[in-house]
Amino acid sequence: MDFDIIFGNAARAAFGPEAVILALAAIGLNVHFGFTGMLNCGQVGFLLLGAYGTSVSVATFGWSLWAGVLIGLFLSLALAAALGFPTLRLNPLLFAIATIAAAEIIRILIGSTDAIGLTGGPLSVSFDAGAFYDLNPYPDGPQDRYGIGTFEFTGQQLWVITVGWALIALISLAIFLLVRSPWGRVLKSIREDEDAARSLGKNVFSYKMQALLIGGGIGGLAGVIDAIKTSGADPNGFRPQVTFFAYAALLLGGAATYLGPVLGAVLFWFLREWIESFLRQLASESWLPGAASDFLDGAEGIISVAMVGLALVLLMLFRPQGLTGNRTELHLDAR
Amino acid sequence: MPDELTPSPDSPRPAATPPPNPAEGPGKGEIEPILTVPPVPGAPKPNPILTVDNLARSFGGLRAVDVDHLEVERGVVTALIGPNGAGKTTLFNLLSGFDRADSGRWSFDGRAVTAPAPDQLARQGMIRTFQLTKSLAKLTVIDNVLLGAPGQAGERLWTAPFRWRWRDQERENTGRAEELLERFNLAHMRDELAGTLSGGQRKLLEVARALMANPVLIMLDEPMAGVNPALGQSLMRHITLLAHEGMSVVFIEHAMDVVTGLSDWVVVLSQGRIIAEGPPWKVIHDDDVIDAYLGRRRAGDAL
Repeated sequence: MDFDIIFGNAARAAFGPEAVILALAAIGLNVHFGFTGMLNCGQVGFLLLGAYGTSVSVATFGWSLWAGVLIGLFLSLALAAALGFPTLRLNPLLFAIATIAAAEIIRILIGSTDAIGLTGGPLSVSFDAGAFYDLNPYPDGPQDRYGIGTFEFTGQQLWVITVGWALIALISLAIFLLVRSPWGRVLKSIREDEDAARSLGKNVFSYKMQALLIGGGIGGLAGVIDAIKTSGADPNGFRPQVTFFAYAALLLGGAATYLGPVLGAVLFWFLREWIESFLRQLASESWLPGAASDFLDGAEGIISVAMVGLALVLLMLFRPQGLTGNRTELHLDAR
Repeated sequence: MPDELTPSPDSPRPAATPPPNPAEGPGKGEIEPILTVPPVPGAPKPNPILTVDNLARSFGGLRAVDVDHLEVERGVVTALIGPNGAGKTTLFNLLSGFDRADSGRWSFDGRAVTAPAPDQLARQGMIRTFQLTKSLAKLTVIDNVLLGAPGQAGERLWTAPFRWRWRDQERENTGRAEELLERFNLAHMRDELAGTLSGGQRKLLEVARALMANPVLIMLDEPMAGVNPALGQSLMRHITLLAHEGMSVVFIEHAMDVVTGLSDWVVVLSQGRIIAEGPPWKVIHDDDVIDAYLGRRRAGDAL
């Protein structure tokens, strides 16, 4: 068993493109759920439109990548507006149902065989993201590797995550500046009690809409990065669990904190990949009985997700505020 | 208690006895225009801040509010009393836009209220508090009060990230909020989360927050429930002081000594209808009010 390799895999996952995407999705959710108290169960819908907006623009319509990026972002904002106008005045639980339904409807429509001509349907879509990699400042020969030991990336990967982490830093800073302001105070007051905010003259609908657009747009950006990273999009990559992974990351790190979603996403991918690599190595150990090897073989991914779920359950039991949250805040609800 | 407004325990409670000359309102030397108003339900007032016509709201078969005509005078303290279930809170909810009336019209501060939206009415200066306190548990006490400040530049998305655009206003608001906290005996809790306050403190916090909004009309739903009597009375005296500076006050209250001691005018609601209104020392002698609300003995106590 080679713990160097296990650690390298885990560290690469924790800072790689997947973690960047999850972190952005969770930052968006944090604006919705953490700061404004909106239970968005369809964050993946924003990612999907970001990814497909980019991919389809380039692959089907032949537009430039940058036009595709803008269209991806625009579509995710449009989804926020379309979802928000009819549902934000309703009961918060209806909003939750509407978001999960909308995300699923879009995924099924895009992935249907009728949509093959436009989106590739179930066949997925791929395009040339060369315009992005042309800007790559890192030499990207077949031998070029960046990192230490087993924690290393290719030049292309490094370029994606450089851009990704820079965006995370910028967006986190913007969210910090917004939320510490009186604007953020209104958001939190809406989370605590909408009617109190209303009674003091705050236009609750407008603030919720602003939060929905901001968080949805950040989700869309995560989708755009996903599309660029994989040079395409596949409907199966946008199943509802993506939203719940983002919630897992958010709760792990601590909702309504500035760094919680980022920390949570890093940790989520580190744990998930560490466990999966560990199990994969374990399955090939000679001392393991054959039956156990057979059981593990191919199931490492599922088991690792289950273990992350277990970690989340334990966290909720022993540190429900997440890693960075404030425990007294959490316990006020019970009074 | 350090609050200078808090009376010492042995100081006399506010006068519950009628002044010798009804033309002198309680605690005032000059003749108030409100006292020229005949004490009959629906009486027109010289300078109403709020005028209500044919306001009705039913829940199933129950007619919770059924007000033919009501005028609330500007710059005075009006108490709204009545038995439990009389429709006092429902009336508040309707007027402040938190509930939809089945029918009826009303105007506030000279403007007809056509599509009542709570936030819009609040921005026009009608600020209400709630019977079940709505303190914002995970905001600090000072943030709760600051939320009330009207017209904050920093509450707009485009200015919010740029602190220099709202820093001065925020500092000014913070100063005012701290004064209010001082007055309401909450200064020592300034940076605590509001959820850690006791029930009575939350009530005080809500009133402070409402005052922070510089209301034209403040509507307080049982502001003194759960507040210790001495502090509560000092509070209400502070509010009546503000009324003399031009703010209009409507409050719901059950303690008759508070009502008679602090209000200039009393409106009595029973089964959704206004059964009496007038100056407190007249209303408590009204037979209908005694039958519907006070009871024979209680009326005697209040005197």
